[in-house]
Amino acid sequence: MDPEPFKLQPARLNPEAAHLHKVAANFRLDPNNPNFEQNLKKAAAKSSNKFPIPQEHLTGMNLLLSDDYLIQDHPEVLNHTIRSGHSTCLRFNRKGNYLASGRVDGTVVLWDMDTMGVARKLRGHSKGISSLCWSRCGRYLLSACRGWLVILWDLQDGKKERQIRVRAPVFTAELNPTNRHQIIVACYEEDFIYCDAMNKLSRKYVLPSAPKRDDSEVDEATKEKWAKEDAKTMTTAAIFTPSGKHILAGTNKGRVNVINSNTREIIYSEKVCTGVITSLRVSFNGSDLLINAQDRIIRTFKLPELDVPDLDPDTIQLNLEHKFQDVVNRLSWNACCFGATGEYVAASTYNNHEMYIWERTHGSLVRMLEGPKEEQGMVEWHPSKPILAVNGLETGRIYIWGVTNTQKWSSLAPDFAEVEENDEYEEKEDEFDIHPQEEIAKRRIDREDEEDVDVLTMDVPKGDEQEFRMPILYNLGDDDSEEELIAVSTGTMRRKSYSEGQGDVSLDGETIGEGAAGGPSAGPAEKATAKKGKGKGKKK
Amino acid sequence: MADTEQVAPPLKRRKVNSDDENEERSSPDRAFHSPTRRLAIRDRDIRQRSQSHDRDYAHSRSRSPRSRTRSLSRTQSPASRSRSTSSRSRGRRSTTNDGDDDDDDESRSRSGRYYSSDRTDSRSRRSTTDSRSRTTSSRRRRRPHSSTRSPSGSLPRTPSPPELLEPEPIPHPNFLPCLSLHGHTGPVSQVRLSPDGRWIASASADGTARIWDSATGAHMETLVGHMAGINTVAWAPDSAVLATGSDDKKIRCWDRRTGRPAHSVARQLVGHHSYVYCLAFSPQGNVLASGSYDEAVFLWDVRGGRILRDLPAHSDPVSGIDFSPDGTLVCSCSTDGLIRIWDTSTGQCLRTLVHEDNPPISSVCFSPNGRHVLASSLDSSIRLWDYIEGRGTVKRTYQGHASKKFAVGGCFCNTGEHDQSAIASIGSGGRATDEKRVIPDAGGGGEDDADLPRVHDAGASYVVSASEDGDLVLWDVKSKGVVQRVRKAHSGVCFWVDVKGDTMVTAGQDLCIKVFRNGNAAVRDRDRDRMEEDVVRANGAVVPPGGLRVSPPLDPEMMDADPASGAPRAAGTAAESNDMVVVVDAAAAAAAHGPTPDPVVKMEETQ
Repeated sequence: MDPEPFKLQPARLNPEAAHLHKVAANFRLDPNNPNFEQNLKKAAAKSSNKFPIPQEHLTGMNLLLSDDYLIQDHPEVLNHTIRSGHSTCLRFNRKGNYLASGRVDGTVVLWDMDTMGVARKLRGHSKGISSLCWSRCGRYLLSACRGWLVILWDLQDGKKERQIRVRAPVFTAELNPTNRHQIIVACYEEDFIYCDAMNKLSRKYVLPSAPKRDDSEVDEATKEKWAKEDAKTMTTAAIFTPSGKHILAGTNKGRVNVINSNTREIIYSEKVCTGVITSLRVSFNGSDLLINAQDRIIRTFKLPELDVPDLDPDTIQLNLEHKFQDVVNRLSWNACCFGATGEYVAASTYNNHEMYIWERTHGSLVRMLEGPKEEQGMVEWHPSKPILAVNGLETGRIYIWGVTNTQKWSSLAPDFAEVEENDEYEEKEDEFDIHPQEEIAKRRIDREDEEDVDVLTMDVPKGDEQEFRMPILYNLGDDDSEEELIAVSTGTMRRKSYSEGQGDVSLDGETIGEGAAGGPSAGPAEKATAKKGKGKGKKK
Repeated sequence: MADTEQVAPPLKRRKVNSDDENEERSSPDRAFHSPTRRLAIRDRDIRQRSQSHDRDYAHSRSRSPRSRTRSLSRTQSPASRSRSTSSRSRGRRSTTNDGDDDDDDESRSRSGRYYSSDRTDSRSRRSTTDSRSRTTSSRRRRRPHSSTRSPSGSLPRTPSPPELLEPEPIPHPNFLPCLSLHGHTGPVSQVRLSPDGRWIASASADGTARIWDSATGAHMETLVGHMAGINTVAWAPDSAVLATGSDDKKIRCWDRRTGRPAHSVARQLVGHHSYVYCLAFSPQGNVLASGSYDEAVFLWDVRGGRILRDLPAHSDPVSGIDFSPDGTLVCSCSTDGLIRIWDTSTGQCLRTLVHEDNPPISSVCFSPNGRHVLASSLDSSIRLWDYIEGRGTVKRTYQGHASKKFAVGGCFCNTGEHDQSAIASIGSGGRATDEKRVIPDAGGGGEDDADLPRVHDAGASYVVSASEDGDLVLWDVKSKGVVQRVRKAHSGVCFWVDVKGDTMVTAGQDLCIKVFRNGNAAVRDRDRDRMEEDVVRANGAVVPPGGLRVSPPLDPEMMDADPASGAPRAAGTAAESNDMVVVVDAAAAAAAHGPTPDPVVKMEETQ
């Protein structure tokens, strides 16, 4: 296909070509590329898809040369296994170049995804990390642990920017994406807290967990019943919408509350399932909500437009899109997440080794990832690439799934092209004409002047957010090697662990856990969940 | 070119061809160079490759027996070559622990500093290069005429904007000698300005690297540790750490503030099997790319000091390496004549650029926007490639300097650098030749604040290169015209030049480092602030650009007799006899009236 015609034709006469042109522009395809036609088809297929690739992701210069990103869009192979301590919690930053991992011993480890090496360690918690959240700019990280503590870290220097004590182990702590001084914390059997730390002193507010009800036309008995029920309602999961103007909170009664973050009042609530809501995720573009609940079903919802200025709470609707479940095995799900474009949903299975990936167009299962022989905990999809980070519950290793990249041989030799079948070579008229060497060189050099050249203008305008560049630490110390094996019991949290060769005994002679049976042991928190899990298994 | 021949290189480094090469060697296999032949020959080539695979390791190292095979494979199929490279290097790696191998390395290091002459035989382009060189010199003779046209920058065939729209012409940069830094006891192989422009790092054959203050020329630190001469130095993006690569096959990272190794455990980056020749930090500072005589490109995890990837990149020493501005691409070049573009995250080769003449490439860098690649080659040319369009096309060829044996460096020089004040950028924006820029400037003042974001693409851009005759040459990117030629900046070969904003530093065979500043920066800024310039003039100091914020207090020890002219050269006192100063005055005076005359012409007159 010649790129020129649809550049010249008015869109009205040839809407199809105009559309393709737009696609080519969106994907920044080069019309002079020999594979242009092919790429355009792929790109068109991609953009007619319900889940277009956000422009934010199409900025890398390597995308100008490689079209792999058009073909492979979900992870297929296990590419890396990384380990620093026993990881319990994972989260990518928005750009996707760092992965934060919370450990059983309370340390937060930042992994550099370019080098697959440890970039920084943050020590301050004393118990297992239960939740992590990055600020949008990537400079601040919020971590929460089971030790009743929430810390906001400034990654410029690795120091604590703020520390919040709560009165119970924390389920989730989230940062307002547009304002790092606003934090919400959902705790175990405690109030749901909203912390506004704009001033020096942080102010805590209790956010409502009980659903919004219209109680004007009900009798006393019902009210009493409701009050009883409401008293037992706890918020178990919460998340900010991307604009930061609203909070989505899931309760142990299976309700989702939408809370206005300014007035701190519930403006809408809806019962979406019967079990406890264990996690909420919002897709990258903020249009979809993913809910994992203990009723063994993962649900996706279309989020209503919450950011319109004159929002009428009565018109809000939460529309169920898909239910993902394993009807045969009745599996329940440890964790789930959206893919980069929102097209896929990945989940790790409880008491099983596999991970499931569904696509959302038809709601069908596209892939089961199996590899490591252990139950998988958190799943985290890279914000822009087909990369999935998962942590193993037993070993605490982090598994990085990705795609295989194959070398195109034609790019090693500019004179070769990869063709499906043999092409007849047509000799050019002047191909074997003999010209003096100098003349050829001169002609070549003169020809250069015909085209303009611009070495300064950036193709991709830089985003308005100023980019944070994390300082590179040269001295992380040898104890931070990824072979580190941490398995510590309650009293000895600050102790570093020692290499496997030294056995399961720490310096003060305390035997650690029950890991001696096989592989590294789990921390107390993990043991607890494991036991809980077994109990349920029996019920089944 | 004749005068370069006379300069006996006291040092081996950056020497890429031997003196006694056979100039008469013609190219019998030139016929193979046509595309059809190339396809036909592919089969045969594979067979040859498999033969070379079977060869003993030591054999494949000494190149003479294989030179025939190599010369064939070089011309025909870069792909197969790279594959053979990878397998060879793998074999090599497995045997490195042998004592025998070390001996082998030693012997190679003695002869290998030069390309052995049989290698030159295998390079079948001698005759071409020869004829080209003649062409070049004739071009140079013509240059004064052609370049008088060039400053206006208007290309004959591009639709030139109406004269009315053109605001007051902004003078081309005019770099004036400012400081001369002494201290190295060996030739200086590379010199680089830190990203924030405050520091100069120099690598030398004496085995040390030094850090200097770019404003005052004060010597800050001497980095001692390498066991052999240092080839290359690279700054981390935060300007706090630098890496050096040496003939002892190791790379070291240094803390700029303390002058000590950056890693607390003195961690060297060990892995290359031969001299480390070029280095580049990724823009995030977490990855270091290195190119070596062992023909491989390594990507290192800077924090841990371990190898992330080794790319079987080339079939000859890797002579240059650079990261794209967003860090997703790495570009490497080699004396095998190839420029390769790699995906940093996957390690795939995404593009290979090769010129029809297949000249050995000696250094490479990305353009400021990352869309182009600038490659210096040993046929005394610098080519600007668009690596995306088609399968890579040459957009511009810059000629006029001498580069035949040594890997002298070239780089971009932007007067409207992004990190500079908006004033400078707007000022230089006027000198635009493309339409895009003239339209916003239609008001003429360049004062339009609403257009500030456009300042980014408003800077004028130049290409600057060192030359083997000790000169520095500055070209306009678009018109290819020589904008400035600094004669005899160094006695002997000038190896490297680096520019940040209005400061330029050069390294030479004469053991010293020279700092230049843009003399027209003051002229450029004059409209914005006439006062400041008056102050400078009143002080009698030619302390341009730069000069306005960093007046160099002149240390007598810093100044020395200019080896080229024999006249004492002092930046501040500006001896009238100095030809360079004459240029300044002429340029400055002319800039006040109209377009800048070509400094080259002026200089030749004063001579």
